[in-house]
Amino acid sequence: MTQYFIRRLLLIIPTFIGITILVFVITRFVPGGPIEQMIAEAQQASQQTGGGLNGAGIGASTLDAEQIRELEIYYGFDKPVLVSYWQWLSKVVQFDLGVSSRYSEPVWDTIKERLPISAFYGITTMLITYFISIPLGYWKAIKHNSHFDHVSSIVVFVGYAIPAYVVGIILLVIFASNLEWFPMGGFYSEDFEDLETPWEQAVDVFYHAVLPLMAYVAGSFAVMTFMMKNALMDNLAAEYVRTAIAKGIPFNQAVKHHALRNSLIPIATHFGNNISVIIGGSFLIEKIFNIDGLGLLGYESIVERDYPIVLGVLVISAILQLFGNILSDICVAVVDPRVQFR
Amino acid sequence: MSEPLLQVNHLATEFTTEHGIARALDDISFHINKGETLGLVGESGCGKSVTALSIMRLLPKPIGNIVGGEVLFNDQDLTQLPADEMHNIRGNRIAMVFQEPMTALNPVYKIGRQLIETLVLHEPEMTSSEIHQTSVNMLKRVGIPDPENRMYEYPHQLSGGMRQRVMIAIALLCKPDILIADEPTTALDVTIQAQILQLLQEIQQENGMAIIFITHDLGVIAQLCDRVVVMYAGRIIEQADIYALFDAPSHPYTQGLLKAIPGIDKPAKTPLSTITGMVPSLFNLPSGCRFQNRCPYTENRCIDSSPELDQVKNDHWVRCYRHKELTGAKI
Ligand SMILES: Nc1ncnc2c1ncn2[C@@H]1O[C@H](COP(=O)(O)OP(=O)(O)O)[C@@H](O)[C@H]1O
Ligand SMILES: [Mg+2]
Repeated sequence: MTQYFIRRLLLIIPTFIGITILVFVITRFVPGGPIEQMIAEAQQASQQTGGGLNGAGIGASTLDAEQIRELEIYYGFDKPVLVSYWQWLSKVVQFDLGVSSRYSEPVWDTIKERLPISAFYGITTMLITYFISIPLGYWKAIKHNSHFDHVSSIVVFVGYAIPAYVVGIILLVIFASNLEWFPMGGFYSEDFEDLETPWEQAVDVFYHAVLPLMAYVAGSFAVMTFMMKNALMDNLAAEYVRTAIAKGIPFNQAVKHHALRNSLIPIATHFGNNISVIIGGSFLIEKIFNIDGLGLLGYESIVERDYPIVLGVLVISAILQLFGNILSDICVAVVDPRVQFR
Repeated sequence: MSEPLLQVNHLATEFTTEHGIARALDDISFHINKGETLGLVGESGCGKSVTALSIMRLLPKPIGNIVGGEVLFNDQDLTQLPADEMHNIRGNRIAMVFQEPMTALNPVYKIGRQLIETLVLHEPEMTSSEIHQTSVNMLKRVGIPDPENRMYEYPHQLSGGMRQRVMIAIALLCKPDILIADEPTTALDVTIQAQILQLLQEIQQENGMAIIFITHDLGVIAQLCDRVVVMYAGRIIEQADIYALFDAPSHPYTQGLLKAIPGIDKPAKTPLSTITGMVPSLFNLPSGCRFQNRCPYTENRCIDSSPELDQVKNDHWVRCYRHKELTGAKI
């Protein structure tokens, strides 16, 4: 078992290199890279200020060849892809992800700022989702085909059919804009630093989190609820449950002590696989609620061709995903003794 | 003659399915005495398992329901018993072993826990070390090597035969009055099958429990049982002690089953005889006698109306209009 996990950990290295090379190469060949963006920006600036002094000169006048060459060296565009990849990688292992072309800040610092915000939402969403879905799925399975089952199915399906960001917008319009019960967005208030106690700060964060969390949960509890219900239904029909009842165990205890544990196996598998989504956040919801999380950061940096950030976000999510897979295996091994790792 | 241990009277069980209501058991009556082995035999789908599940009140809810008759055990009608009293009977006074040892044990719990559970439930005055010791002894008794360590293994670490022994051990823990074994050896190799049958016989001799042994294999019945109930399409068609049944089978269906047993006493290369046709679906039962469409002796009255169970001799009953001319016939 230990050996298996050591091997899995070592396998992260080549997988990681594979993923990053791929993206690195793509960033090279997709048009509209950082240099082109800078040229365009400089051009715009000169047009606004200089007012067409040198209208025909295009970029040449705003950024001369020397400056472009400097930028190319700065981004490593002057060298073959693999050479500059190697340079990038050797910095990455020292936690140096470069400097954002947009913010002129170390990428690592930006990510360090954003990651906890998304992780807060992700982990809270996950906890709430489990807290709702497992009991709900459990009761739906026990009361299969009852009114409770049908009515809750409608709610679950509606939650499933409406995309999370739409739920977010609806919530925002009703509860923030019209009723003004909750703030319009942000992770915390402007005067957060001035709040006296950690308790008040926590309340402030959760006050801001209510609507986005509802949007997140609406998007994720449907799948989990049905996964739980179906798993439990399968297990209720399993022969070992009948064996348990034949031993004299009352039905509801046979469900709790026998069927439930087996039904958590698929849930456990699901958990690790989703870890990067959980922690990475959804850029749409982050955008709607103006939350400066990792998802929004990644999205914006792609749009603006801020490659150091794109690669930095990628590094983090790849690592999360790879560790998530291993975590998933550990979870499955914990709940299912039949799983043997060699 | 003493009072029977368990008496099933006119039991009827139905399943509500999407095609309608299926009457899986129709007017089933039999009894079992203390220390006796009763065989329940018939082709697949004739209602043997449903009979066992009805007695144990383990029918799949809510589709399976007992709709008539009674199951008398210790002067109580099990079909009417409150749920909590039924819990005290299951696994304690009446225990059951199922066909599929591969799926009948919970895959995520250790063997020991699955044994101990039963004792904790039914023997509240036992201490935990007594419970552990009783469990280990029972594993040993059913022929599991190294029982102390097996307690800490998971079902998937055992072979099918070993798992079935574990199931038997669980069933025997509380020294039940009746063991219902539903095709306990069907899923196993022939050699393992013989070992398990021998084990059941030995244990029965030791503790004098009654066994209801369900099988489709008359060879196994011959080896194990005192009396036999033959079922067909949800009904009992013949009931007799083992000698009467094998020497003088009265129902054409029983005769067909007996002829279908491959035997070493038959000349080499004798073609195996089979009963033509298939067990009818419960939704499409033939009129009159349910065996009428496969029977070589069918007459008009067999198609017009169903025969009642008729006494051949003492304890030998058969549901056939023509049993007097057919009993013991070499067909
Ligand atoms: N869960 C069920 N739902 C519907 N019909 C069932 C169910 N279980 C058994 N039956 C019906 O009851 C009849 C008897 O089945 P069973 O007792 O399992 O046969 P066997 O003699 O092979 O053990 C079959 O015809 C089957 O269609
Ligand atoms: Mg069966």
